[in-house]
Amino acid sequence: MSDLKVPAPKTGVIGESFAWARRASPVLWLPPRLRSPVIVAAIFAFALLFPILHPNDADIDSVANALTYAALALGLNIVVGLAGLLDLGYAAFFAIGAYAYGVAASWQLAPQWTSFWEPFQWLGLVAHFQDSGSDVVHFQVSFWLMMPAAAALAAFFGVLFGAPTLRLKGDYLAIVTLGFGEIVPIVVRNIPTVTNGAMGLNGVMAPQLFGWSFGVSATPYYYVGLGLVALLILTSQHLKFSRIGRAWMAIREDEIAAATMGVDRVKMKLLAFATGAAFAGATGTLFVAKLQTATPEMFMFPVSVMILVMIVFGGIGSVWGVVLGALILQLLQSWFLEDLSQWLHWLGRLIDVGWLQRIELAGSIELIFGLILVTMMLYRRQGLIPATRRVAALTLEEQSAPVTRGGVDSLQGLGALAGAQAGPLLAVDNLTVRFGGLVALRSVSLAVPAHSVLAVIGPNGSGKSTLFNAVTGLVSAEGGSVRFAGSEIAGKPPHVVLERGIARTFQNLRLFPNLTVLENVLVGMHARLHTGAVGALLRLPRTRREEHAARERAMQILAIFGNRLVPRVDHVVSSLSYANRRRVEIARALAAQPKLLLLDEPTAGMNPAETLELADQIKSLNRLGLTIILIEHKLDVVVNLAERVVVLDHGEKIAEGTPAEIRRDPEVIRAYLGRSAESA
Amino acid sequence: MPRPLMTLDPVFVQQVINGLSLGAMYALLALGFTLVYGILELINFAHFNVFMVGSFIGMWALEALGLSGQSITLSGLALVGALIFAFAVTMLASGMLGVAIERIALRPLRGVTGTAGMITTIGVSYILFNVILLTVGAGSLNYPNPLPTVRWDVAGAVLELRQVLIWGVALALMLGLQLFVSRTRLGKAMRATAQDAEAARMMGVDVDRVVMTAFFLGSALAGAAALIFGLYYNFTSFIIGYTAGLRAFTAAVLGGIGSVTGAMVGGVLIGLIESLGGQYVATRWTDVIIFSILILVLVFAPSGLFGRAAATRS
Repeated sequence: MSDLKVPAPKTGVIGESFAWARRASPVLWLPPRLRSPVIVAAIFAFALLFPILHPNDADIDSVANALTYAALALGLNIVVGLAGLLDLGYAAFFAIGAYAYGVAASWQLAPQWTSFWEPFQWLGLVAHFQDSGSDVVHFQVSFWLMMPAAAALAAFFGVLFGAPTLRLKGDYLAIVTLGFGEIVPIVVRNIPTVTNGAMGLNGVMAPQLFGWSFGVSATPYYYVGLGLVALLILTSQHLKFSRIGRAWMAIREDEIAAATMGVDRVKMKLLAFATGAAFAGATGTLFVAKLQTATPEMFMFPVSVMILVMIVFGGIGSVWGVVLGALILQLLQSWFLEDLSQWLHWLGRLIDVGWLQRIELAGSIELIFGLILVTMMLYRRQGLIPATRRVAALTLEEQSAPVTRGGVDSLQGLGALAGAQAGPLLAVDNLTVRFGGLVALRSVSLAVPAHSVLAVIGPNGSGKSTLFNAVTGLVSAEGGSVRFAGSEIAGKPPHVVLERGIARTFQNLRLFPNLTVLENVLVGMHARLHTGAVGALLRLPRTRREEHAARERAMQILAIFGNRLVPRVDHVVSSLSYANRRRVEIARALAAQPKLLLLDEPTAGMNPAETLELADQIKSLNRLGLTIILIEHKLDVVVNLAERVVVLDHGEKIAEGTPAEIRRDPEVIRAYLGRSAESA
Repeated sequence: MPRPLMTLDPVFVQQVINGLSLGAMYALLALGFTLVYGILELINFAHFNVFMVGSFIGMWALEALGLSGQSITLSGLALVGALIFAFAVTMLASGMLGVAIERIALRPLRGVTGTAGMITTIGVSYILFNVILLTVGAGSLNYPNPLPTVRWDVAGAVLELRQVLIWGVALALMLGLQLFVSRTRLGKAMRATAQDAEAARMMGVDVDRVVMTAFFLGSALAGAAALIFGLYYNFTSFIIGYTAGLRAFTAAVLGGIGSVTGAMVGGVLIGLIESLGGQYVATRWTDVIIFSILILVLVFAPSGLFGRAAATRS
């Protein structure tokens, strides 16, 4: 398989937003590989020079504010865009960061001086202030120290608040976050000793750099904001195109499928929530340092909605998109609406229309936000710069190429068991599952020896899929045990079952529709890869090696299906044919290196030729040592593949044996064809 | 002479009376959340400001009768007629507003999974809010109050005519809704759709019509609640939707979202919590108490008091 081209991971800050540049004209004289980096470099060069090219303090101030909101939008994008958790109280974390710095760098808290504070004085965090009878502590923690500290504090609150609530369904989570977003400003208002209440904090220290204070000029804040946004773009891109980001997007696309592919939902959601909160916390520090004041009104619901509007406008999930969305909306507010109002007043005077002369568009910005939300949702849900890209169609040559069958001979690291095992690989004993009054499985027992293929058949509603769901931890069993490779797995959550070595497909396909073929398969490897958030962020050589090896293995697995999937690795799976989607789902399950593969009607919807092809491929996988349980209606496939067959009816096992025995079994004939067929 | 079994603190009685009046209003508003959620599984943020717009419609309806400010009061048939006219106009117009929102902004998104629907309702809510802000202005307006001042003494507390009126209207509307949902053909279709939209569609239920009805009824009840708000507090403003809406939503969640009975009971409970909490804890903490209830109910008892919905996935 050495001829397979392994797609490289997306790199650096660039991501994929500038993919159009590879085809676009203005920089056509550059080699395609260089175009995106050149564009990004040009954007940053312009941003760096802006205060010099345009030395107008008010305008620089507007852009600095816009950069603050871009940083917030990047944080909310992690939570809403990547992990799919609608957070309507995001401004609360912004408030936590802002007040953390505000309190730690102002006169708000001025406790009596005692020797307790001496070590802190020595560290430079507080000052000893004596004046006409007062002898107090002045908090003066450095801005540069508070920025990461506030990020950590906000992340801590994110985890604290997220831990009990993140298992809620999307819309309920939105309400809970809204409630949290309401509570934080009210608490801030009601504890005036710490926050100065509704009056707001005053006299917050300006940041200092090597003894030079930022003061009130906008330019230094502009550069800090620019640096922060650049850092957060880099962080977002590195996380997005890593094991972590793929797990987040998998949760967003289909939580249950993500769990069965080994993603620990609670852990990954908490990580997303904490990351988003940390972005907001760090940004809050900058915001308060720049304004040198903070009031509860700055962090209310409208702020959360405004940030949401920015990411919806720019493109939910698209890193460059949300930055653009935030900049456009902020600058629209501070520049364009003022100018437009002036023009309308002028027009009003010209044509002598009273209301045109008085119109103030800046006041209608929230109306514009509302219109943007509704219009984008109705007509362009993917935003200005969509996060998912449509890949160019296959070339004519690729389209008309004859179907080739891939081999599995060189497949590496399948995780299949070598050698004989003592006892069965999977032993289900007296398993009972009940949904309310309905008994879906009643005391079902079966044993699957390693390296074998077992088929489970039965009429619709006989409990076949429930059996798979109970084994993989999606439904909880009322009684009985499931032992896999000698240890009990009943009651274990789905991602643990996968880690132990059981992967599955679903009867009704549960792919991640907006991810590419390759990304779907890579999510399957989640449990076998080790890159954590820090590794993804730093892109250490170890991480790069792991990512490259993972992509290589993914390509090998896709090559099982010949040229069916390989030319389409970068296609979004929702654009694939039904049969190809089934193949992707099998490839995704194989990527988890299972010892046991559960296939739920793998050939459903395939024509006879495709069915035969897939049956061959399943057979070769079994020959490599993979143990397989198969739910199947097509009896020729069952006879062809399975050594043993288990028949379920109304939740009970009514027969077990070789395919030939099952065909003659009177119980089976009765279950399938009814009582009269038996006597006929 | 035997001592009475217990003597009630007049302050407590007064707060219960106030709480029940607030509760009646929240219950009517909560019904709109519950009706739409029951059928579409959509949290409708536009409802907040349909309520707010409704209060202005009610004000204009009363002003159209020549009633403005607090000076003109009516009695007898004139009062009954004016109130029936105001409630009818407000409920009809609010209902139509709800239907229009559904048709224009939400129907095209039917079947789109994820958070798109909810984000759209936030957008609609913002539009309504700002249209009123830009046209009517930011100040709060005096609400017409045609009710004569009649007071009774109940266990040392004051019970006013307007409070009795609020209870009466709310009870009548809720009974009417209950009858509609349980007795009429369309009401049965609504319940069927709420249970299983797909199955209902296959049985010939016109789901579009059911959704439209839910929006109409919910918004009409919000209109009634809005008129009650105006008559009770004697003012209205563009900002009244948010707090009242969020409290009513909490009521719907507390009662069990999707449950009509739950919305009524939850509304009354939230009203009592607001008035008693304000009395015995502190008004400035009332919202923290209410939102904490919201969060705690969702986290620990997501199906609420009467609900069937499960808030957790799988």
